[in-house]
Amino acid sequence: MCKFFSFYPYFIKDNLSNFIVLAIALFTVLTLIYSSKFMNPVRNTDRTGNNKTVSNGVKGKSGLMQYYTYIILTSIASIAAVRSNHLILLFVFWGFLGLTLYLLINMGQNSSQAAKKTFIIIGGSDALMLLGIGIIYYLSGTFMMDKIRIPLASNSILPIVAYLCIAIGCFAKAGVMPFHTWIPDSSEAAPLPVVAFLPASLDKLLGIYLLARISMDLFIMIPLINMILMVVGAFTIIAGVMMALVQHNMKRLLGYHAVSQVGYMVLGIGTGTPIGIAGGLFHMLNNAIYKQALFFSAGNVESRTGTTELDKIGGLSKVMPLTYIAALIACLSISGVPPFNGFVSKWMVYQGVISQLQFHTDKLRFIGVLCLAAAMFGSGLTLASFMKLIHAAFLGQREVSSRSNIKEVSIAMWLPGIILAIICIVFGVFANQVPLKQFILPAVSGVSFIGTWYSGLATTLIIAGLVLGILIFKLKNLAPNIREDKSYIGAEPLDLENNRVTGTEFYNTIKELKTLKPIYKRVKKGTFDIYEQGKKFTFSVAKVLQYLHNGVLPTYMVWCLLGTLALFYYLLFK
Amino acid sequence: MKALINLFTYLIFPGFLFSACIGLIAGWVDRKVTARIHWRVGPPWYQNFVDIVKLLGKETIVPAGAKMTFLLAPYLGLLSLTLVAAALGSNILSPLEGFVGDLIVVLYLLVVPAVALIIGAASSRNPLASVGLSREMKLVLGYELPFILSVITVIIKSGITIQIGEIINHQINFGSNIASISGTLAFLVSIFCMQAKLGFVPFDASEAEQEIMGGVLIEYSGLPLAIFKVTKAILLYTMPLFLIILFMGKDLSPLFIIAKFVLLLVIIVLIKNTSPRVRIDQALRWFWGPMSFLASAAVILALLGK
Repeated sequence: MCKFFSFYPYFIKDNLSNFIVLAIALFTVLTLIYSSKFMNPVRNTDRTGNNKTVSNGVKGKSGLMQYYTYIILTSIASIAAVRSNHLILLFVFWGFLGLTLYLLINMGQNSSQAAKKTFIIIGGSDALMLLGIGIIYYLSGTFMMDKIRIPLASNSILPIVAYLCIAIGCFAKAGVMPFHTWIPDSSEAAPLPVVAFLPASLDKLLGIYLLARISMDLFIMIPLINMILMVVGAFTIIAGVMMALVQHNMKRLLGYHAVSQVGYMVLGIGTGTPIGIAGGLFHMLNNAIYKQALFFSAGNVESRTGTTELDKIGGLSKVMPLTYIAALIACLSISGVPPFNGFVSKWMVYQGVISQLQFHTDKLRFIGVLCLAAAMFGSGLTLASFMKLIHAAFLGQREVSSRSNIKEVSIAMWLPGIILAIICIVFGVFANQVPLKQFILPAVSGVSFIGTWYSGLATTLIIAGLVLGILIFKLKNLAPNIREDKSYIGAEPLDLENNRVTGTEFYNTIKELKTLKPIYKRVKKGTFDIYEQGKKFTFSVAKVLQYLHNGVLPTYMVWCLLGTLALFYYLLFK
Repeated sequence: MKALINLFTYLIFPGFLFSACIGLIAGWVDRKVTARIHWRVGPPWYQNFVDIVKLLGKETIVPAGAKMTFLLAPYLGLLSLTLVAAALGSNILSPLEGFVGDLIVVLYLLVVPAVALIIGAASSRNPLASVGLSREMKLVLGYELPFILSVITVIIKSGITIQIGEIINHQINFGSNIASISGTLAFLVSIFCMQAKLGFVPFDASEAEQEIMGGVLIEYSGLPLAIFKVTKAILLYTMPLFLIILFMGKDLSPLFIIAKFVLLLVIIVLIKNTSPRVRIDQALRWFWGPMSFLASAAVILALLGK
């Protein structure tokens, strides 16, 4: 690490980037382990037993070489981007990451559309970022990030524009609404390890890292910008999770959650309080952990059943127990069930929002309360959509036709998920001792908790109660004999073929509510998709140009003549 | 020593044993009053205890499926809820110390029993259980929104704190939260949320015995069923206590607590016995519509200092 010092001032090493580099390394290693089996084209047999590649379009050795090269290049570029202290350097690595993201997503079957969309959204926001960097240079006269300290003020517009331009770059990378639409699309189409690696973990780390960096160091924040961040965050939470609630595909559902969870991070950083920022950063780390575990589980399911459509799978907990355990723990973490890690970071974000209520005027307090309610309710909605996922994929009734030849995946595929699940538990139970003390609190100064949560004590008590319960259970006198039996409905043995409840239609009641129905319809049409709207706008502009550019020589001659005349006119009479 | 005290707090008083006993007796009050309304005699006071002991002795039948999940889910729900009961109880005993966590922790732990019920039901692989669990989840979604808003009202009223002890102290110094317009509104909303959380009529669509035969509980028998019953009993003790702490925390001497508890219990039983079961979409509309509106009004009024 000390080598970086010799590159000073272009690269630096500080507490904020330290743990992010560590996390990037961890996710890279796990993704490589996972890919070693998943990306093997022969292994992916579909349900009928045909040797068909399932989610990877990688064919042969050269394809695999390309894949691994891109993954490792991505990892190196991410570390370099996080470490760089020079804005232009950061931007170069950032842009390079956009390119590798495009190439990696493009490796999937039929994923060129999603890859194009990703490239356009990320590339467009990168252009805005460049504008922001230019303004920063204009204002401060330097590109060195540790020397820049620009105060935002509501009466001077230029710093605010610079901040927002860079923030939009971060938003697009992390997938904050309305720049999120590439995530669900690419998570459905791209090869699964790519989704688990980039949109689910690395892009979150990078986007939120830069957002935290500009909010904490580069700019001095004002309440107005804080409020904008908070509202954007709260809106992302609710809108993302409402979309996730009604999805039928496991990967797409997870993709929408990858959007929704970013809201908590943006909300936390938007509070501007140390505890909120620390919560946002911790949530970024936690989210990357459990989201990667969830995508790995989805990959395991896909590689065994050949599909991630929730209608077509079910009851996999018996045949894939390790995948199920990893997925269950990750689901509980993401839903914020204590004592897992997702709860701790959400709790810190809430504390950030609540403590910033203390020093604001009424109007701003109202927005703060609104964001708090949205964030807390969003957590409930997250729980709901993951209960649906757990029911439909792992518990619930088994899909009858798929019963044969499904077994647990090989160790290289379940191990990463289990490791991540263990980290989820450790980061939750020993939150104060391990992640907060080692990683988060050194990066954010002045954190003070306004609540209390003794996760260690609570877990110990729960385990003690569990042990006691099992002891009572084992006592001779009380021991009830356990018998396994078939299920019955209406005095008939259960007929799974006719009586299957998959769970995908659980929340149709919500979809059909009078106020929500038109919104869902619009979303399906793409009214809120910035890419679709941008496409429409670009094509309508292009239409005018197309009209002029019709390929008929006389038209061009007329334009030339008119142009020359105008030029002469101007030169003669100026 | 500290560990022993904690264990005592958790398992005996005011944790598991104490709250279970109170809850089972409260359950008896409910059954007795219901019986009197029906012109029946009703069970003796120890009936609920006898029921639990009977269930413990029965055979446990596990449906072919996820056996471990099926058996562990009720335990974890019960243990998390016990944490809440212990935390609330010790906060009343000594507001300055607290036990495991603050208001947000309690709010989250209170959802865990529902999660346990849902996961347990899902692992039983019965289609009727699936129907039941989807209703339970939608009900949770329904009441969570207004309940969160009412809790936020309390947070604002108590001078923006999330420590339960400080909320109690604030009420001791400045009067109960219910004694204001916003407090009253939030209290009204949370009574309905409590009813839904307890799974009582009119919000018992997830169990609906006549319709889906117990729904979420359909495959449970013997010990796990007994645990769910005890969980429900503890919830019947915890939820009113939580509301008392949030809204009526001015005088928390034992006699007053009992009086307030009985008052809330009477309200619960009255609602239960005078209303029919609502469909789940009706419940959802009720909670996301009028209830959330009232709760938002309470939040705004609290922000304005009313």
